[in-house]
Order: sequence, then C-alpha cells, then structure tokens
Amino acid sequence: MKRRLRDVPWALAMLLPSLALIAVWTVYPLVKAIQNGHLRCDVTGTKCRDAGWGRYVDVFKSREFQHALSVSLKLMVLTVPTGLVLGIALAVLADKQLRGIGFFRTAFSSTVATSVAVASLVWFVLLQPQIGVLADLFSGIFPVLKNPGLLNDPGTALFAVALSSIWANLGFTFIIVTAALQSVPRDLYESAYVDGAGSFTRFTNVTIPMIAPTLLFVGVVLTTRALQTYGEVALLTGGGPNPQQSTTTIPYLIYGKNSLIHNDLGTKSAAAVLLFLLSLIFAVVQFRGLEKRVHYGS
Amino acid sequence: MRASRNVSLAALVSVGLLAACSGGGSITDSPSPTTAAPGTTTATGGSSATTTPGTQATTTTVAADTLPDCPVDALASITKPVTITFWHGMSGPLKDSLTKLTDAYNKSQTKVKVKLVGDSYENTADNYYQASAGNRPDLVQLPEYQVQAMIDTKTTVPASKCIAASNFDTSKFLPSGLAAYASQGVQWSIPFNISNPVLFYNKKAFAKAGLDPNKPPASLDEMRADSAKIVQTKASTYGLALESGFDSGGGWYVEQWFAKAQQFYLDGQNGRQARATKVLYNDSTGVQLLTFLQKMLTDKLAVDVGDNTTTGYDNLLKLADKTQPAAMTIATSASLGPVLQVLAGGQFPNILPNDVGVGPMPGPDGKPGALIGGASLWVVDSGDKARTAATWDFIQYLTGAQQQSTWATETGYIPVRSDALGLEPYKSTIAKDPRFAVAGAQLAASPDAPTSAGPVTGPLREVRTVLAKAVAAIFKGGDVKKALDAAASQADGLIADYNARNTG
Amino acid sequence: MAADTVRGARKAGRYVLLIVVAVIVLFPIYAVLLQALKSGPDSLDHPRSLLPVDLTLSTIRAAWTQGNLGRLLLNSVFVSLMVTVGVVITSLLAAYAFAFLEFPFKGPLFIAFLATMLVPAEVTVVINERTADALGWINSYQGLIVPSLASTFGVFLVRQVFLQLPGEMREAASLDGVGHVRFLWEVAAPLSRPTLGALALFTFLGTWNAYLWPSQVIRGDRAHETIQIGLERLKNNDISKINLVTGGLVVAALPIFVMLVVFQRQLVRGLTAGAVKG
Repeated sequence: MKRRLRDVPWALAMLLPSLALIAVWTVYPLVKAIQNGHLRCDVTGTKCRDAGWGRYVDVFKSREFQHALSVSLKLMVLTVPTGLVLGIALAVLADKQLRGIGFFRTAFSSTVATSVAVASLVWFVLLQPQIGVLADLFSGIFPVLKNPGLLNDPGTALFAVALSSIWANLGFTFIIVTAALQSVPRDLYESAYVDGAGSFTRFTNVTIPMIAPTLLFVGVVLTTRALQTYGEVALLTGGGPNPQQSTTTIPYLIYGKNSLIHNDLGTKSAAAVLLFLLSLIFAVVQFRGLEKRVHYGS
Repeated sequence: MRASRNVSLAALVSVGLLAACSGGGSITDSPSPTTAAPGTTTATGGSSATTTPGTQATTTTVAADTLPDCPVDALASITKPVTITFWHGMSGPLKDSLTKLTDAYNKSQTKVKVKLVGDSYENTADNYYQASAGNRPDLVQLPEYQVQAMIDTKTTVPASKCIAASNFDTSKFLPSGLAAYASQGVQWSIPFNISNPVLFYNKKAFAKAGLDPNKPPASLDEMRADSAKIVQTKASTYGLALESGFDSGGGWYVEQWFAKAQQFYLDGQNGRQARATKVLYNDSTGVQLLTFLQKMLTDKLAVDVGDNTTTGYDNLLKLADKTQPAAMTIATSASLGPVLQVLAGGQFPNILPNDVGVGPMPGPDGKPGALIGGASLWVVDSGDKARTAATWDFIQYLTGAQQQSTWATETGYIPVRSDALGLEPYKSTIAKDPRFAVAGAQLAASPDAPTSAGPVTGPLREVRTVLAKAVAAIFKGGDVKKALDAAASQADGLIADYNARNTG
Repeated sequence: MAADTVRGARKAGRYVLLIVVAVIVLFPIYAVLLQALKSGPDSLDHPRSLLPVDLTLSTIRAAWTQGNLGRLLLNSVFVSLMVTVGVVITSLLAAYAFAFLEFPFKGPLFIAFLATMLVPAEVTVVINERTADALGWINSYQGLIVPSLASTFGVFLVRQVFLQLPGEMREAASLDGVGHVRFLWEVAAPLSRPTLGALALFTFLGTWNAYLWPSQVIRGDRAHETIQIGLERLKNNDISKINLVTGGLVVAALPIFVMLVVFQRQLVRGLTAGAVKG
C-alpha cells in the first residue's frame, strides 16, 4: 500500500505534461464541440442561441451533410480496396532477390515522402487543363482532360482526388506489406511446396492468411485517411466542382473556405462531432476484426 | 473469411446511415420555433423563419450617436510612434504595389508605423470575424460583399464619423464608390480599390474572323453574333469562355447584369433602404439572362470552364489555350495588370500583350453601367484613440489623389477619386494604354438610379455561392427556372437565418 | 535446359513488369521535376517538357524568392524539430510512469489515455482554433507547436518497449540506489534507442507534413507559415506566377526525399511498429 502511494508524486510529475496537453487539446475540444453542437451563433461566434439537441439530427439529416457523407464514403470505396490491392501487388512483385531490386523497392516506396500538400499539388500540376502535361498528352483519348479538365468536371473530379490519394498512399502501403511479406517464415512456403501447392495456391493459403493482420491494419489506416480527406480537396478542387460539389468531404464541409457553414461555429461543431461518431463506428468495426485475426507467428 | 464479414458489416453500416436519412432540409436552416428547447433565448425582434416573406420593413436609418466616435486629433498628443496592423486581401503584383505605398507612408512620417498582413479576401474576412477583441487589426480591407456582415459585428468606427471629425473632403470621390459602402444613412467604410468586370478578348481572333478588333461587342446579342462569326470562321474554337465562380460568373456578374438592366436584386431596395429579406433574381430578368447564356453553351458558341475555384483565373487561361481556345471572356478589370505581366514574360507564346483587347462588359440591350467591385477600408474600433487616429490618417493617405494615381496605374484598379485621373502616372498610362481606362468609363456610365448601388445583405457571400451552384447546373443543361427557384429559396432561408442570428 | 529457359523468361518478365510499374509510379514526380527545371514557356511545351533538355534553375530560383521558400522551410524545420523533441520527452516520461511506477487507477487511466487515440484531429481543430485564438497564439510558433507536444501513440509505443525490458533490471537498479531519473536517462532510454529513433522520425515526418492544423492557426502571416501551407500561394490568384508552383514543389519535397533515403531503415521500423507482429 505504501509502495503504491510512494510513486504517486513521481507519477504525477511524469504524467503531467502529456495529461495536461491531451486534456487541453484533445479532451476539452471534444467536450466543447459537443456542447457547441446544439447552438446557433452569430458571425463572431459570441452571441449564441440554444437550438436543442435535435440540432444534431437536423445537421445529420441535412442535404449538405448527407452529400458530404456520401462523398466521404465514395472516396473510401475508391481508395481503400484499390490501395490495398496495388500495395500487395507491388510488394509481391518486388519480393524477389533479384539484382537491383533495391532500386525498385525504393522507387515503389518513394511516394511515402510526399505530404498531402505535395502530392495534391503534383497532381494539380499534371491535370490542370492549360499547364498540365497529362492534359496535353492524353486529351485525344480523354477529351475531358482539356474540357473542362479532370478536376473541373463533376463526373470525374472525385476520381481525380482518389487517384491523387491512392498514389500518395502507395509508398506507405508498399513498405508495410513488404515488411509483412518478409516476416512470413519461409518454411511455411516450403512445406506447402512439398505438399504440392502451386504458387497461386501458396499465395492464397499461406501468404494472405499470414499477412492478414497487417492488411487489416493498412485497411484501417487507409479508411481513416479517406474519412479525414481535407487537404487534397482544398488544393485540388476547392470542394467543387459545382453544382454537385462532387468532392466536398465531411472535413471539407467543416473547414473548407468555400463551405456554406465556414462561419457557423455551432454547426461546424455539430458536424465535427458527427464525424467523430462516424470514425468511432468504423474504428470499432475494424478493430473487432483485427482482434480476432491476430496471429502470433504460430 | 472473417475479413469479408467485417467488410460487409462496414458496408451495411454505411448503407444504413445513408438510408436512415431522407428529406433533410439545408444545414443552414433555422429551427422552427416549435421545436426549440424550452427556455431558449430566441432572438428578439421576431424575425424568425416563419415571418411571411415580402413584408417590407420601413426605411431605417442608424442614429449617429449610437455609433463609436472617431478621435482624429489623438495623433497630435502622442509621445512615441503608434503601430497599426492592416489586414488586406491583396496578392501578387497588387500586394507588391500596396507594400510600396505603405513603405513610402512609413518613411514619410515618424508618428505612425503600418504593419501589413495579407491573405485572400475570404481568409481575411473569416479571420476578422473569428478574431477575439484583442486580436483584431486596426484597419481591414474587405471585399464589396462584406458590408452588412461587418455592420452587424458592431466592431467598427463608421467612416462618416471620421469624415465629419476631420473635415475630410469627399467631394472628388466617385459617388458610386461611396454609395457602395453606405447604407441606412451611414457611410460605413471608404472604397480603396475599385474594379468591375470587363470583357477581355483576343484581337487576333477578332481580326481573323473579319470583325473589327477595336470594336468589342457592347450588348449580349452582339456578343453572341460575334461569337457565331468567330466559331464559324474557325478563328477560335469558342467565342466566349464562361465560368461559374461565386465571385465572378456565377454570382457577382449576375448582380452586375441586374444593375445594368436597372432591376433590383434584393428587396428593401437592394437592402440599402431597409434590411433585405429575400432575393429577386428568379424573376423574368434572371431567367432570360441565364437562358441566353445556356443557349450559347448548347450552340457551342461558348464553353464552360468550371467554377474557377482552384486558380481563380481559369477563364483567362482559356484564352491562351493552345488547342481549344476561346476568344472572349469576362473577368475583373483588376486582372488586366497581372495578365499583361504574364503575357509579357512570354509564358504563352500564342498570345502577346498587344493581342489582348478590353471592352465594357456586354449587358442586356447594351445598357451601360457597372457595380462597384473591389474592396473598402474599415476602421476597427480598438478603443485605443491613438491607433484609431493613426488608422484614419493612413486611410487618408491611401485614398489621396496622388497615391490613387500610382495605385491605379500599377494595378489596373480604378482611382476612387476623379482628381487622380489628371495626375501622373495614371494620366499618361491611360493616354498610352486606353485599355486601363475602360473600367473607369464603364463605371462613369452607370445611370443615377437606386439599382446602381448593388445588393447588400449579411450572407451575401453565401447567397452568391448558392446562386453560383445554380448557374453551374444551368451551364450543364439544367432547367433554368427550376434551378433559379431552388437557389432563391435556399438564399431566402440563408438570409432569414442570418437575420435571426444577428439582429436583436 | 527447358526449365532454365522458363526461369530466365520469367525473370525477364518480372524485370519488365518492375520497370513498367516503376515508370508509372515515378512519372508524376519526374514530370513535375522536369517542368520545374525549365523556363516558363518551355515548361508548358508538352510533350517536349518531358525531355531533359534546356534545363535551367530559373523557375526554382523565382519560386524560391517569390514564394519566400527559405523562410517557409526554416519554419517547417523549426516547428517539426520542436514538436519531435517535445513528443519524445513527454512520451518517455509518461511511458516511464505507466511502465515502471505504481499508482492508484493506473490501469483505467491508461485505457482512458489510449481511448483518446480514437479522436481524430479533424474533430478537435474546430475548438482548438478558438482556444489558440483566445491564447493569442494565432500566427505564432507556439500555436503550431504546443498542441502537438504530446502523443498518445508515442506513449503507447515507448511503454511497449519499456515493458519488454527485463523486470529484474529495474529492481537491481533500485537496490543500487538508482532513482527514477537516472534509470530513465541512463538505462531505459538508451536501451530503447531504435524505437525512440523511429518515433522521432515518425513524429518529424507527421509534423512536417501537417496541413489542416497549420492552415487554421496561421492566417496570412507569411513569417510563420510552414512550407505545406505556403506552397498553395504559388498557385492561387496570381496568374503571373502560374508555373512557379512546380519550383516550389521541388523545393518542398526534396529535403524529405533525401532524409528518407538516409533514414530508410528507421522509417520502415517506425511505420511498421504495431503493424507487423514477429
């Protein structure tokens, strides 16, 4: 009993920095946002009226939020499976002790060095109708590249944003899946080979199950990134193109400078809280899957 | 596989989320009074969402004694230099020019030091509204759609107070410039940079099509006829580049066209006599106008370059496009300086600075005139007498005749006062390059009518955003009346919501 | 013999595939890099702009001066370094407490701590921006640095490593009269160096790449902008600078590329921490 209490001053001192920072910058904002979510405030955010907890339902059901939700979900569907498949494909492709394989591995990992801003602006430069090289090279096959441009056409804008995200995440996915592939014990492959399994069967029966927890982890990260997509939208399309606002994700609805609610503290808070609940739901769904699939190298 | 079960679970959740919700309103709708929680403090004044539309309030004026004072004499008694912060929305060559002016002011006297902080108009406005009292600047430049919203913050010293206190002579100022920033009997801010939309066109394409390169179209019908000739003779792929940005083709220009047609855009006489409660743009004027533009697109005489949010000058770039250019576009006169600069750098070899022609913005039936665009200077009520006086001193400098002459020359803005027109360097600039004089002449041609003062309402920027979306839908082939009605209804909701939150 | 040919053909096939994929993945970087190394009109002359001819540094130099890139880079380096140092220190301290100290409610507190990892930044920024404004930290270095100084992930990671240290080590040290601070500084931290290195790299990268928070807390004050939010300026609202954004991109991305080539191993370790078991 005395031992437990003796450490308390030390524990307090050592925990204080982290606890204080997290309390102020993570816990407090969440609580305050929940409080703000049922207020309607004036332009300066100081004079507020209570609109009731029903405000959360109103915001959730509103056209703009539902649309942003569908955009975020669409983006998730576009980027997560594709990102996973490409990451696996590239990792498997480069998982051979060939001469010069190091160069290829570095090349495939290279996009991990790009930030959201860099990756988005790279694709902006490539796709801009008047200055972009892709727009000039391929407008014969895809006239939309020039008129009005992949980022300005409501039908293709979200695909362009997804493309930029997939490319940017490729390096990360490749590195992680490669590490996972390398951790699969070789004797498992050997015994499968001895059992007469062909390379495809070995892949599906040995590789995939063994790297499944990693794949789920990557899936979680990619899903989180898809839900958090803000910078790509701000830099590539500004939330447009109008009138469908095809690329306004939930974070852009909250923070985007072209958003209808950018001056409305109460509504922004409500939308942020709804985003939190959404992330929670997806995290819980995916972590439950993770928990059940973790092998410990048996 | 378990993984697939979790994927399908996630999918189910997603579908469930979306399906659970249907028939929601707009995220900006005010709650109806019956569902408000008990004990709420609803806004006084009774302007809730259930007010019957069309009830015009009577003309209102704001009494001068309810507004903060402007202590212009405070500078005389200071002991050490005063530093003031100026938040502005200029960028590129415009920013460079402003910096030069400010440096000259700082050097020319020792009492006041001005510190510049620049960002986009939107960010500057957002930052101002969100800043707490101690973090506001002393002077802020805000665009022409930020008038009512600024008035409602009740954080500024009206310019009229400063004008009266210092006997500032505003007789030479452009009347329309002052009127743009006056409402309910008070001059709230002072115009600093004035622009309006003008027609940019490719003279080479005009010549190739057999049109007189010095005679740009003056009316919408002429613009269409010229486009037809250009497309027919293949002088250019398209006659006109249209875009639907909120601060340009999709929003601001519509207000301009209404002013040219001498029609009101908002009730309350554009919100200047009484607080506006609804928009009027879904009437026959608006429908005719947008149907006309839509027809140009379907007849392939014009091309839609999108909503222009990424660069802000997508339509101008279309003029320089190598493979599918357009020959004309409407853009703000403030772009003239930067456009000539980039062309002079040889960036786009197929169009040279002298190939660019500038004409007035074509209007319905060729009726002339334009609304004031650009931005104005607001004195922030910091409570500090010396800083307020210093701010007013700087404003007098920035709007001085000589400074306006230099400013207009370097930027392409119109001088805010007529006595700047006769001063160098502006005098010889417009003599040598008449293109810079087009915007000013267009403004001078505005009829002396109440419609020439432009719409004013708190959420004007959001109203424009909503209209811009409708315009984008129309450009893509949607039903004009339906789109305008839907936009009008949402705009009315926005205005009602704003009024509910900000009055009383 | 036939088997050899098949294997040779397979190998060649794999090389072809590797090259094709590498070209596709690297093309965007290559295209932008080349566009940045050409003068204005040349950079728009497609497809000739993809040929490594007529190269010049003028676009990059213009981007550097007009975009004030030197200052932006400095800001990014400063902020990222401060946050990295801060995160490592706060994580070390908190992890030590959770791993080696006994105190009431340790278990539930740790769970609560971990739970905060579920709160994404996108949710907290709305209010954090108001908090920063109230503190007067808008457009300041404190505003950029302080909110990120603690990391739940960092605490989790370092605690993990500490728990893997042999328990007897701590007991033996305390019998020798070694206090907490000495143990942490002289034993626990040095033994966790690889993980700390990975955490440091990870944190540095994360801070360097951050976009949302800096974009909300730095408004128009170019002296305090980081490179991620400053790059945008080179593209917006200024038709006379339209190609400078490529020059800015090269300058912004190059330091990180170099750093990651040098610290490749730590990077992989940092990214795979917690992702791959065994």
